[in-house]
Amino acid sequence: MKKVLFAALAVALVLAGCGGGGDSNVIKVGWLGALTGDQAVWGENELNTVKMLFEEYNAAGGIEVGGKKYQFEVIGYDNKGDAQESVNVTKRLTGQDKVVAIIGPNASGNAIPMAPILEQAKVPDIATVATNPKVTVQDGKVKPYNFRVCFIDPYQGAVAAGFAYDKLNARTAAVLYDVSDDYSQGLREFFKINFEKKGGTIVADESFNSGDVDFRPQLSKIKAANPDVIFMPYFFKEVALSANQARDLGINATLLGGDGWPSDQLISMGGKAVEGSYFVNHLDYADPAVQDFKSRYKAKYGKETELNGFLAHDAVLVFVEGLKKAGKPNGEAIAKALEGIDVQGITGRIHISPETHNPEGKDAAILKIVNGQYIFQEKYAAQ
Amino acid sequence: MVQFLQQLINGLSIGSVYALMAVGYSLVYSIMNFSNFAHGGVIMLGAYFGFFGLTLLKLPFAVAFLLASFGTLLVAIIVERIAYKPLRERKAPFLYFIISAMGASILLENLVIATIGPTFRTYPEVFPKTPIELGPLAIGRLDLIIFVISAVSLSFLIFFIDKTKLGKAIQAASYNVKACALMGVNTDKVILTVFGLGGFLAGIAGVFFGMKYTVYPQIGNITTKSFIAAVFGGLGSLPGAVLGSVLLGIIETFVAGYLSSQFRDLIAFVILIAVLVLRPTGIMGKVTEDKA
Amino acid sequence: MDWTYIQGILMLAGINMIAVLGLSLLTGFTGLFSFGHAGFMAIGAYVGAWISASPASTPAGMGLPFILAIVGGGAAAGVVSYFIGRISLNLKGDYFCIATLGFGEAIRLIFNNVNRFGGARGWPGVPSNSSFLAILIADIVAVLFLANLVKSRHGRNMIAVREEELAAQIAGIDVFRSKMTSLVISAVYAGVAGVFFAHYMTFIQPKMFSLTKSTELTIIVIFGGLGSISGSVLGALVLTALPEVLRAFEIWRLVFYGAAVILIMVSRPKGLMGGLELTPSGIRKWTAERNALRQAKATLLAEDSGRKED
Repeated sequence: MKKVLFAALAVALVLAGCGGGGDSNVIKVGWLGALTGDQAVWGENELNTVKMLFEEYNAAGGIEVGGKKYQFEVIGYDNKGDAQESVNVTKRLTGQDKVVAIIGPNASGNAIPMAPILEQAKVPDIATVATNPKVTVQDGKVKPYNFRVCFIDPYQGAVAAGFAYDKLNARTAAVLYDVSDDYSQGLREFFKINFEKKGGTIVADESFNSGDVDFRPQLSKIKAANPDVIFMPYFFKEVALSANQARDLGINATLLGGDGWPSDQLISMGGKAVEGSYFVNHLDYADPAVQDFKSRYKAKYGKETELNGFLAHDAVLVFVEGLKKAGKPNGEAIAKALEGIDVQGITGRIHISPETHNPEGKDAAILKIVNGQYIFQEKYAAQ
Repeated sequence: MVQFLQQLINGLSIGSVYALMAVGYSLVYSIMNFSNFAHGGVIMLGAYFGFFGLTLLKLPFAVAFLLASFGTLLVAIIVERIAYKPLRERKAPFLYFIISAMGASILLENLVIATIGPTFRTYPEVFPKTPIELGPLAIGRLDLIIFVISAVSLSFLIFFIDKTKLGKAIQAASYNVKACALMGVNTDKVILTVFGLGGFLAGIAGVFFGMKYTVYPQIGNITTKSFIAAVFGGLGSLPGAVLGSVLLGIIETFVAGYLSSQFRDLIAFVILIAVLVLRPTGIMGKVTEDKA
Repeated sequence: MDWTYIQGILMLAGINMIAVLGLSLLTGFTGLFSFGHAGFMAIGAYVGAWISASPASTPAGMGLPFILAIVGGGAAAGVVSYFIGRISLNLKGDYFCIATLGFGEAIRLIFNNVNRFGGARGWPGVPSNSSFLAILIADIVAVLFLANLVKSRHGRNMIAVREEELAAQIAGIDVFRSKMTSLVISAVYAGVAGVFFAHYMTFIQPKMFSLTKSTELTIIVIFGGLGSISGSVLGALVLTALPEVLRAFEIWRLVFYGAAVILIMVSRPKGLMGGLELTPSGIRKWTAERNALRQAKATLLAEDSGRKED
């Protein structure tokens, strides 16, 4: 036991060495997400965005809150895309670093276990693309310190199903999904429910496991079922691989996807295979509102932003509005101020509902891939 | 019938990728009697070497291919020197080798994330990607090329082990390292050769994996499957590794195609365990006695 | 320095410790190498969540007390491990290891497909019952039970099996039974750890119990030192905290983590504790030796000063 205590003490001492003193006119904002592991592409993009925006605020002299100018310090930690590390990081951000609010993470499974810690520490979190309904609402009760700036899975699934049935006139659909991924399983569930409710038939429902790179066995089976559309609710690496393999096998069905799709990588890897495909997105890339952010990001980091950057951008906007409205850099006050807040973000109008802490009425955009470009089709709201 | 044949082709294609990875594993296992989990990381580096050879250095394919293979040969030897040799000298039990290998695997993956970045990269098109169409069937060109190159490199390997003096020494060492050393064989050299060969094969596997799919830091994870395949075929046996890989590829494909893709890996694991229960050393595994 | 954060890490370390102690019995004392213990943790976590979660939440639980969840989760993992053992315990070395890998992954795959338990989307709303005190008590019980077990006849049989299976058999030890006892007890430990984990995280997902988790546990056991209970305790504390301590290195931290694992294997080939043990008797012996030494020194000094006075 002595040794145990000694080790604990040693750990504590090392950790204590990492913490710094606070400045009274500096507001600390936390971020968490994956900087390592297979989600690292998105995490890096989000942290870059958050850092860039707060640097811009600082360079402009800071932000006036309750009659006092404040500067910002961003503290970002890696969680490997892992729920357990998210819990550790949330405790560190709230307890040790004393941030007033947290931006991120992108994965729902990482955001859900943060709730009890946030409640205890009274620090709000604004998730970027965590689309599982249970991130903000559990058993009909809203979680007081969890917010988000994106639409949710049931909505996205309904949009995809509605668009496929009504606009693409698809009557039969196949689904290929990642059985070990929560995001993929969620979208697949809501797509199926809504597509069948409309009167369509799911002719094949196939899955793979995270980490797989070959989908031809499942695609061969889907080919035999001959669907009008194939719904592919997963991320762009797998989308590009499965689309290429589908075309190799001679499948000509229209491919349909969700917000895991958009990326430059999809076009460079998917090439001709993804031409003519549709996906549900949070925004239209050609929208004048987003151009400024896109070019600022590219100028600073030398590469294009991923989708997550736009939502991280809006999460920061929502936070700053909440901070101004609260009038003091205090987590509890900011959380109160965020309820019902109404902000014009670059991904659309964000009105945080006090009942669900979701941005109510945020429309989804349908994009089509034409000549390697993401072409906006329409704003589509599911009924 | 068409679907059956197509699925068979799919299975062979998946199996051949497993085979390329499994042979390196099995080769090291045959001498060292431990599963070299760092092999996946070395394969991943091979994919990156080949990629940068083609894109950054704009080398012709054959040169980039050799660069990758010799690059990973070097990496495998460095890993051996740093992570295994000190253990070898202390005659540590195989568990320590495995843990050291896992450490190396974590290190390699995250080294790539930290330096090159987490994004995936696409190989430039070296061979045309359009498949050969035989009526309603589609066979990937790359699959055929992979098949040929794997066959060639495997026959070279078998030739090397069967005909050369060093190869004979490897064979002898795989029976009994201690006795082999007593007979005057420089076992350190043999072990280095084996790791070098394993690394060379990892480079080949990495380049082809990258061409067929894509390059990303987590490629190493896929090698869990090839490890299973090697066990399935019988650890330490090169033909066993190939056979196990092809069988695993076909089983997976047929389970996904005809039974349930949701439970594909589950059923594949059940079959694996059933095989092990019936044949406790895999299909062609060498029988190792428990050493004191 | 903040207590919530430190406490959080200590709690995680305490939870890992339970699983690691179990695995230590299997790997360190019986010589069997498992890659599937995350699967047993998953069974414990899910069964525990099922027992204690409120019937009103989705997925619904039974709303029973936490202590029943601990018992139920541990028992379920034990029962499953018994059947797995029946099939796989006759396999040797890497073959046993790959069979356990298969079982571990299979358990995870099943949970991915069971919608009753939330599938891959997970199970939120598990009550937050894993208090610091509860984990501490569980750790103490786990250590005491294991320490007594390895000193008992069963424990000595297991060590005999580890050292020389054939000889153990000839000496009349039922090798299969010893291995089975070891496997079931280690699975119960893992199951209990899973219950605590579920009630610490308040949310579980099959993803959390992947192969990576199994290897992490094995790394801790070997890092701490095979066949040393105090080594497992220390290993769990050090290695759970290490990724957090390394945060200063940002994206390089897992590179350092990997390097640290290699370094300790290479420089301390017997693990952290290297066969040493910090059992009560061990400490007593150690302090007794120290006291004897001090006394000897004191008498020497006394003699010395006495001589001066003379």
